[in-house]
Amino acid sequence: MTLQTILQTILSNAHLAGVLVLATTGIMLVFRTSFTTNFAQGMMATVGVFTTAALTSKMGLNIWLGVALGIVLSFLLGLFIDVAIIRKARKVSVVGKQMITMGLVIIIAALIPLIYGTIPYEFGRFIDGNIDFSIGGMDLFITKNGLLILGVAAVIVTIIFISLYFTKWGLGVRATASNETVASMMGINTRVITAMSWSIAGGCGAVAAILMASQSGTVDNSMMVSVQVNGFMASVLGGFSSFYGPIIGAVLIPITKAVVAIYNSLWSGVILYSVILLVVLIKPRGLFGKKDVKKV
Amino acid sequence: MANEYRKELINDRSKKAKQIVSHPLFGFVILTIILAGVQLLFMFTEDIISLTVSKAIAQTLIYAIVGMGFAILLGYAGLASLGTAGFIGLGSYIAGNMLKLIPFPVPYILIIGAVIIAGIVLGGVVGFISLRIEGMYLAIITLGLSEILLELFKTPNQFTGGASGLKSVPWAKLAMFYEMDREKMFFLILGVLFITIVFTINIINSPTGRAMLAMKNSQSAAQAMGISILKYRLLAFVLATIYAMIGGALYVTYLRASNTSSWTLALSLNVLAAVIIGGYRSVWGVLMGTFVIFGLDLAVLKNIDFFNKYPGSSAIFSGVLIVLIVMFYPGGLIRLFADIKTLIKSGIEKWKVYRYGKDYK
Repeated sequence: MTLQTILQTILSNAHLAGVLVLATTGIMLVFRTSFTTNFAQGMMATVGVFTTAALTSKMGLNIWLGVALGIVLSFLLGLFIDVAIIRKARKVSVVGKQMITMGLVIIIAALIPLIYGTIPYEFGRFIDGNIDFSIGGMDLFITKNGLLILGVAAVIVTIIFISLYFTKWGLGVRATASNETVASMMGINTRVITAMSWSIAGGCGAVAAILMASQSGTVDNSMMVSVQVNGFMASVLGGFSSFYGPIIGAVLIPITKAVVAIYNSLWSGVILYSVILLVVLIKPRGLFGKKDVKKV
Repeated sequence: MANEYRKELINDRSKKAKQIVSHPLFGFVILTIILAGVQLLFMFTEDIISLTVSKAIAQTLIYAIVGMGFAILLGYAGLASLGTAGFIGLGSYIAGNMLKLIPFPVPYILIIGAVIIAGIVLGGVVGFISLRIEGMYLAIITLGLSEILLELFKTPNQFTGGASGLKSVPWAKLAMFYEMDREKMFFLILGVLFITIVFTINIINSPTGRAMLAMKNSQSAAQAMGISILKYRLLAFVLATIYAMIGGALYVTYLRASNTSSWTLALSLNVLAAVIIGGYRSVWGVLMGTFVIFGLDLAVLKNIDFFNKYPGSSAIFSGVLIVLIVMFYPGGLIRLFADIKTLIKSGIEKWKVYRYGKDYK
């Protein structure tokens, strides 16, 4: 295996990291403010991408307008889920909340074929073509679309993180994450914070799904399932209790999987998940997680 | 004198009848007999009960076995797992390969035994993992474990058949010679279900069940009372895994095929949904939940043209039910009966007060 092959593999799979980072950001935000693992993250995103695909391919809408509408719809769906369901289920136990999101997965997955039909949509790339370049005598290339995905993901995640640490909203999120009751007593409107997190999660998910579809070319009901599972794995690997841990996990997972696949493409998934399992067994709070103190 | 003796005899008889009726297993025996009757009806005339319904009932019963294990895990030990589908799948592949690869006829008890041993090993591993990782993390880690298993199934090899799965598994032999077929398998499933029910009820009502319940309510308090967390967590996971694997073995010997597309997250979610909807604290609840989630879907909804046109859309009912029940009716559907009973009782009481005045007693 030459260095060139490895670098090229990383470049060819970089878009997966971009997509996963966006999805994981949504999962992480919801986890920190609602204290539940949102299994519906992938499905909220799928609704958005289906809307975009249906609007552009069936009704011939402008692609950018379709993308915007898809993102807005997922945004509103996230808001709706929080306001109508999660907010009402405050007294439900942690596992109960998890189950509610699983129920939502089942509902949305069943509704999508009813609304959008059962035939998968095709989805074109935003930009065609490759960029060829060479570093130290090695010829490498990256698809322009892949670069776009990386760029969009980097910009969105950077904006979210800057707002997390330097805006009033970010302060609210961090306060809610550390202790919801105390935060609400200090005058933070935790309801708005939580609702915002859900809607941003929906929006981020939709962007991730649209970018994913633009690279893979098709839109179907189960396209975000593996992203969802990997998003959870990334969060567990990085540590749910930090904001940046899941993001680092989300970058690591697809890249590692791709590199392992050079050596052994058949078992790359098994090897990757087993390694994550081992890491989590050794460090149950994840790579960057803080140890939490248990009170009796 | 003779008259009194007769009275006593009648009294004695009615007492005995009451004892039989109030026995905790009485209802399950009746249920088993009814289900066997349905199958007999199907075997003699296909007019009333079609093959689809018979198949649907058998599959539902298999998932009820799996659900029972899950109920012990979730309702009694308080551990959430999303690895169920992977475990069922593994059980099905083990049983299917035993039937396919071993040249001489394999007795069924050997298949069940092998599956149970595999269940103990795998359940023990997951149990040890659960000692380190708790709560929501555990659900995600078990999901990861299920993904590992699914990847293993999907990888093309001679044991799992890759993405196309196991096909045309031969019928099992009950003893060395008695060959099964689809009709006879139904009764075997029913028998296994009954044994599972008896076993589960005994576990739940034994010190083991109570220790698990204590562990669920407060781990620290349970530990302080001398309950070994290690022992009961391992036991809960081992039991749930064994149940799931037996379910898998029954599945592959009944349907004679095992497909990777069956063992995805959706199945784990459905088992979870069944247990939650029915009520995870009682065996009746689990049975009810599986009939609502799997039975209704397989036997009724899938045959309606509208849902046939849009595959997967019939699941919307179970999704809505999960959300509503978790939010507003945490005891599950099984609580419905108790609630109706108290409603009727209080209604009768009110009517009596109205009819005879406040001190009618």
